[in-house]
Amino acid sequence: MLEIKNLTKSYGDVVALDRFSLDLKKGEVLGLLGPNGAGKTTLISILAGTISDFTGTVSFQGRDLFADRRLKNRLGIVPQDMAFYEELSARDNLLFWGGLYDVPRADLKKRAEELLELVELAARAKEPVKNFSGGMKRRLNAAIGLLHKPDLLLLDEPTVGIDVQAKVSLLDIIRGVGAAGTAVIFTTHQLAEVEGTCSRIAIMDHGRILAQGTLEELVRIVGEREIVEIAGGFAAGAFSEAVQDLAGERLELLSAADGLASLAVRDTGEIPRIMDRLFSRGLAVADIKIKSPSLETVFLKLTGRSLRD
Amino acid sequence: MRRLFLVLGSDVRRHLKSPLAIVIFMAIPMVMTALIGIIFAPKAEQTTLPPIPVVLVDHDKSIASRLVLGAFDADQLKKMFEVTVADEAEGRRRMEKGRASAILIVPEKFTLDLLDGKTTTLTVVKNPAEQFLPDVVEEFVATMAVMLSGAIQAFEAEAKGIRVLLDSPVDLIPWETLGPEFGKAQKKVVAASKYLNPLLIGIKAEETRAPGAKPRFTRRDLFSIMLPGMAVMFLLFIVQTLMRDIISERGDGKLRRMMTTPLRPMELVGARLLGGWVMGLVVLLVMVAVGTLIFGAYWGNFGYFLLLGAAVSFWTAAFFGLFGALVRNRNQAGAFSAPIILAFSLFGGSMMNPEAMPKAFRAIGVATPNRWFIDGAALVRDGRFPLVPLLILLASGLVLAALAAPALRRRISV
Repeated sequence: MLEIKNLTKSYGDVVALDRFSLDLKKGEVLGLLGPNGAGKTTLISILAGTISDFTGTVSFQGRDLFADRRLKNRLGIVPQDMAFYEELSARDNLLFWGGLYDVPRADLKKRAEELLELVELAARAKEPVKNFSGGMKRRLNAAIGLLHKPDLLLLDEPTVGIDVQAKVSLLDIIRGVGAAGTAVIFTTHQLAEVEGTCSRIAIMDHGRILAQGTLEELVRIVGEREIVEIAGGFAAGAFSEAVQDLAGERLELLSAADGLASLAVRDTGEIPRIMDRLFSRGLAVADIKIKSPSLETVFLKLTGRSLRD
Repeated sequence: MRRLFLVLGSDVRRHLKSPLAIVIFMAIPMVMTALIGIIFAPKAEQTTLPPIPVVLVDHDKSIASRLVLGAFDADQLKKMFEVTVADEAEGRRRMEKGRASAILIVPEKFTLDLLDGKTTTLTVVKNPAEQFLPDVVEEFVATMAVMLSGAIQAFEAEAKGIRVLLDSPVDLIPWETLGPEFGKAQKKVVAASKYLNPLLIGIKAEETRAPGAKPRFTRRDLFSIMLPGMAVMFLLFIVQTLMRDIISERGDGKLRRMMTTPLRPMELVGARLLGGWVMGLVVLLVMVAVGTLIFGAYWGNFGYFLLLGAAVSFWTAAFFGLFGALVRNRNQAGAFSAPIILAFSLFGGSMMNPEAMPKAFRAIGVATPNRWFIDGAALVRDGRFPLVPLLILLASGLVLAALAAPALRRRISV
C-alpha cells in the first residue's frame, strides 16, 4: 500500500532523513521508535505533505503520493499538537475538519456521531473543547484523523501528556483501526506502547531504520541476552573476582555493587556454573531474578545510551 | 471554493462564539466617544444655571434693605438666586459647607444714609471655593447699587419727605402738607411707568446665522466627526486580532493538519483574507449602528458609507494578511501590531482633528487608512461621493493583497 524509497531530507548540514526506505501493507500497524532528532516527525511531515523539498519517492496505492491531490482524501493524520479549535464543540470540530475532505455532508454527520461514540465524547459533544481534559482532547485529536476513513493513518506521538486510562483507550482505538484494514504509522518514545499495539516495530536513528520486525525478531536481530540479577550478602569486589574468569562470549558482568550484581548470559544454563563459583568462595546468595530482553534493551543496544537534544 | 467558504464559515462561527475581544474593541471607541462628547460638546438642552444660593445679612432692617431683598425676589431673578436672610455667622457657616456662593451684608442705617444722600456700602463676601457663581452675585449687586443710587437721585425731593416721615412720631407727621410731595412723586412714577410697566423693550433669545455660515455645532456633530476616526482605529485592532489566526495556527499544528487535507494553500489564504474583510465590515457596521442609536451620529448616504467601509476593511485585511506573513510568531505580531496601529491612528487623524495636526503629521497621515477613511466619511456626511478616498483605499488594498497572498502561501507551505 505504501512504498517509501530513498527519502532524504536535510536541514542545512543536519541530515534528518538519510535514504529512508519502508514498505507498509494494508492493516499493518507500524510502531516507529527513535530518540529525539531521529527523523520521525520529518518523515510524518513529508508523508502529510507539509514538507516539499526532499528527494526520494513515496508511492501510495500505486500512485505518487504528492502528484495527485485527491490522494489526500485517503490519508489521515493525528499530529502531536492538539490541532483543533478550542472555541468550537467536539461535534463542530469533527464537522469542520471532516468537511475539508470530500465526504458527503450526510455521511459526515453520521460518521461524526460514530466517532464521538467511539472516543467516548458523545455525552459532551456540544460542549466547547476548551472545557475538556487533556485525555479527552487527545481522543478528539485522534477522532479528527479518522473521520474520513483513511487508508493510511499517521500518528505523531499521539499519547504525549495523557493519563494511563486515556492512553489505553487511544491504543485500543489504534489497534481497532488497524484491524479494520487501515495501515498505521505510529511514532512514539514510549516503548511499552508499541509492544502491545503494533504488528511491526521499526527502530530509527539519524534518519535511517536500524532494525525492524516483530519484537521477537528484533531481539534475535540484535542478539540480545538474558539478564540475571543476583542479590546476597557479598561485597562487590568479591563478586567480581569470583565470576571474572567465567566472563567471555557466553557471560558478561554488567554491574556489581555490595549485595547486588547483574550479568548478561547467552542462555540460562550458565546460572548453575555461576552459583558453584559463588558458593565455592563462600559468597551467600539470597535471590536470583532472570529478566528476558525487552524492547528497551534492544532500543538502547541499537541507539546507544548517549542523551539527545 | 467549497472549502474556502467552509473555512470562512468556521472562522466567523469561532469568533462569534468567543467574541470577548471583539466586543471590547467595539466598546472602547463608543465609551471614548461618549466621554469626549460629554466633556466637550455644547449642551443645547441645558441653558440655565441652577439658582445661586445667597445669604442676606440685614443690619438695617428698613425700607432700602427691604428693596434690596425685594430685588432678588423679582420674577426673572427668583430663578437665578435663592436668597436666605440670616445673621453673618450663619452665612459664613453655610459658605464653609458650600451652601452659599456669597453673603450680601446690608449695613446699619443703610436706608437713612441713602435718604440723607450719604455714601454707604453693601458688602459682598464671596465663597473662595467657587469661581464663577460669586462673581455673578457681585455683578448683580453692583448693578443694583447703581440703579438704587440713580433712583435716590431722581427722587431726591421725595426722599427728603420720606426722611422726615421716618424721623417723626406718627401723631406729629404734618399729613396735610404731604399732598403736594406725593403728587410730585406720583407724576414721576406715572411718567416712568410708561416706559417701565410694561417694559417696552422685551428680551427674546434667538440665534441668527449669516448666509453661508456653518450651522451651530452640536454634540451630535461632534459624535459624527469623532466616531469614524475611533471606529477605524479599533477596526484595525479587531482585524489584526482576527488575522492573528494565521500566525497562531502555524505554531499550534492546525495549519499543518489543514495542509494534509485536500484544502489548497490559496483557498486557505483566500478564506483568511475574505474572513478578515467580512468580519471587519460587519464590526464597522455594528459600530455605525451603535453610534447612530446611542449618540445620534450622522453618517450621510448609507450606500456611500458602506462602500467606504468595505474599502477600508479590505485594506485592513490585506495589510494584516501581509503582516501575518512577515512576522515570525504570535509574540512578534503582538509586539509590532499595537505600535503600528497607534502610529496609523496618530498620524491618520483618529486621535486628533487632522486640521489641528502639525504639517509633518498630516503629510505622514496620507499613508494611513485612517486618514482616507476619515476624509471619506466627512465627504459622505457632506452628501458627496468619496471618490478619491475610495480609490486610494481600494488601489492600495489591492497592492497589499497582491503582496500578501503569495507571501502567506509561502508561509503556509513551509
